[in-house]
Amino acid sequence: MKSIIVIVVSVVATVLMLLLLGSIWGNKADQAMINTVPEIRELDPRSSEWGKYFPRQYDSYMATRESDDITDVLKKDPNMVVLWAGYGFSKDYNEPRGHFYMLEDNINTLRTGAPVDENSGPMPTACWTCKSPDVVRLMEEKGELEFFTGKWARWGDEIVNPVGCADCHDHETMQLSVKRDFLARALVAEGSAPFDKASHQDMRTLVCVQCHAEYYFKKTEWEDPDGQQHTAAVVTFPWDNGLAVEEIEQYYDERKFTDWTHQLSKAPMLKAQHPGYETFKTGIHGQNNLACADCHMPYVREGEVKYSDHKVGSPLDNISNTCLNCHGESEEQFKQIVERKLERKEELAASATDILAKAHFEAAKAWELGATEAEMEPALMDIRHGQWRWDFAVAAHGGFFHAPEETLRVLGTAIDKGHDARLKLRIILANYGLPEYEGPGFSSKEEAQELIGLQMEKLVDEKITFLNTLREEWIQNAATSGKNIYDPKTEVKEFKASYSDEK
Amino acid sequence: MKNSNVMTYVATACVVMMVVVFVTLVYESRALSYLSSDPKVCITCHTMNTHYATWQHSSHREQARCVDCHLPRDSFVNKMIAKSIDGYNHSVAMTFGTYGKNLRVTANAAERIQNNCISCHQGAVSQMHENSEHYARFDDDVSMGRRCWDCHRMIPHGRTKSLLSTPDTLGVKEFKNL
Repeated sequence: MKSIIVIVVSVVATVLMLLLLGSIWGNKADQAMINTVPEIRELDPRSSEWGKYFPRQYDSYMATRESDDITDVLKKDPNMVVLWAGYGFSKDYNEPRGHFYMLEDNINTLRTGAPVDENSGPMPTACWTCKSPDVVRLMEEKGELEFFTGKWARWGDEIVNPVGCADCHDHETMQLSVKRDFLARALVAEGSAPFDKASHQDMRTLVCVQCHAEYYFKKTEWEDPDGQQHTAAVVTFPWDNGLAVEEIEQYYDERKFTDWTHQLSKAPMLKAQHPGYETFKTGIHGQNNLACADCHMPYVREGEVKYSDHKVGSPLDNISNTCLNCHGESEEQFKQIVERKLERKEELAASATDILAKAHFEAAKAWELGATEAEMEPALMDIRHGQWRWDFAVAAHGGFFHAPEETLRVLGTAIDKGHDARLKLRIILANYGLPEYEGPGFSSKEEAQELIGLQMEKLVDEKITFLNTLREEWIQNAATSGKNIYDPKTEVKEFKASYSDEK
Repeated sequence: MKNSNVMTYVATACVVMMVVVFVTLVYESRALSYLSSDPKVCITCHTMNTHYATWQHSSHREQARCVDCHLPRDSFVNKMIAKSIDGYNHSVAMTFGTYGKNLRVTANAAERIQNNCISCHQGAVSQMHENSEHYARFDDDVSMGRRCWDCHRMIPHGRTKSLLSTPDTLGVKEFKNL
């Protein structure tokens, strides 16, 4: 009898539990369906393929094409032409446009020159690194070192899509993923926030940091399977000593690294790229662990649906969906606060470029008068450090907002170093009998470019020839290669560059 | 005698079967994970994806997890009682499919949340408390006459929080990391 009771009770319990289990499995199947992401080829560089399944995110990404104005930075402050004499940036430097134009602008800028075949042109392959998901694909296909070897033009018909879905997302789960290994290596070297400990919130910043960070091209020797020796120029973040401007400066000094020797002053120069992450982390938003995406990719609503806006741009275009999520002030107040921050930075930045440009001319004159290397070295190091710091403060464009105090502090030290250099140079000039020397004046980008001997017409002509020949070939090759990498939807219809008038 | 032996075997087999099914059930339902305070546990079912994703994009995410607002914090016992009540309600709704796509807190949960708002933001609301008897009373259940989120409507989940409002949510993907 007892056994029967046990049997009945346990069978009833088992049946009920099985029913519940069935329901749980049913719910799990539902969940798996909800979680299922459509099939997308691994590292498919064509964003429109991803966009078929994520139309809202894709449409908003494509809307970055609305940010299409060319703002010529050299025109705004011609001193920069002098600061970069002997270096590509003196030829052409614009404020960034929307993500949609990244590749187009990289190809159009006079800095990447006018190659005529895959082995010519001034730049290494590394210049593509941040411009396209095709880069990630190539690194995977060819190996990282192979990718970083050779001239920029080598990959012209492989790199045909502007930065897109595959740069930040996993193709199976859509989870954020960092595709460029040099970021993980740098975080490990720096040590304060190891990559393998990154939370989802950290990833909402780190996918951006793949590109929005200071870097240099590290010469790396390697041997291919056939025993051939090559030198790769590998994008490397100089973070071993830390993220602060002084720590990165020390990193470069320890390695005696220079980006170029200045045409006028002969100073061993550094070019800051865009230390967006490094400065952001020192600001109040960074310290509160906000992510880039919190302000640059806010939630937006379409009917009942919410999604993360992929039209990455200035949060000021959308204050009510960005700043006001956490802050109580009005939109108008916000605009004024940020405008004032920008004015403060521009005031100090203009002061810094003026001082540094004068220092370059004064150093050139000192050399001309016969100053020795031993005499010049301390002043040249001040120029190196001063210009590096000014560049570090302004090159990321958003630094004035991300970290206003740090940006102004760094500009303060740039001005300080610039004055130090000029003081030392003034003594040298006095020793050589020219204590009152003043560099030549100029009032426009064109005058400054002429002053440093740039043949702009020739550069533009060559560029236009390149755009009409080799570039067209690249597009043709990509479209007919059978690799399914070419996406006509991302072709830029209207040509715009700082030299557009001449085309 | 022989018959009762057989019955004993059958009974034992049934009990073993029941235990096996029970263990499977505990495993499949991730029952033990519900003892944790990790917000990801709340998206074990897809029903909370929107709430997870909206919280994850709010300023509260740095300060408060799901349980910090939704469960009582005065004692462990009260916390577990509330967790059991909610857990039971959620399981029933999930199993019988009795929930709609716009979830609202129960009166009991609303009371806990209100108390938790006050416990963290005590400094900010102490004077309101003092003056509350002079206020128009919209809701007699609450000491201040109305609830915090009657005015602070966006906090922390935003105003659109139906289950359909965040397709492809972060919550879904985080769940895969469990």
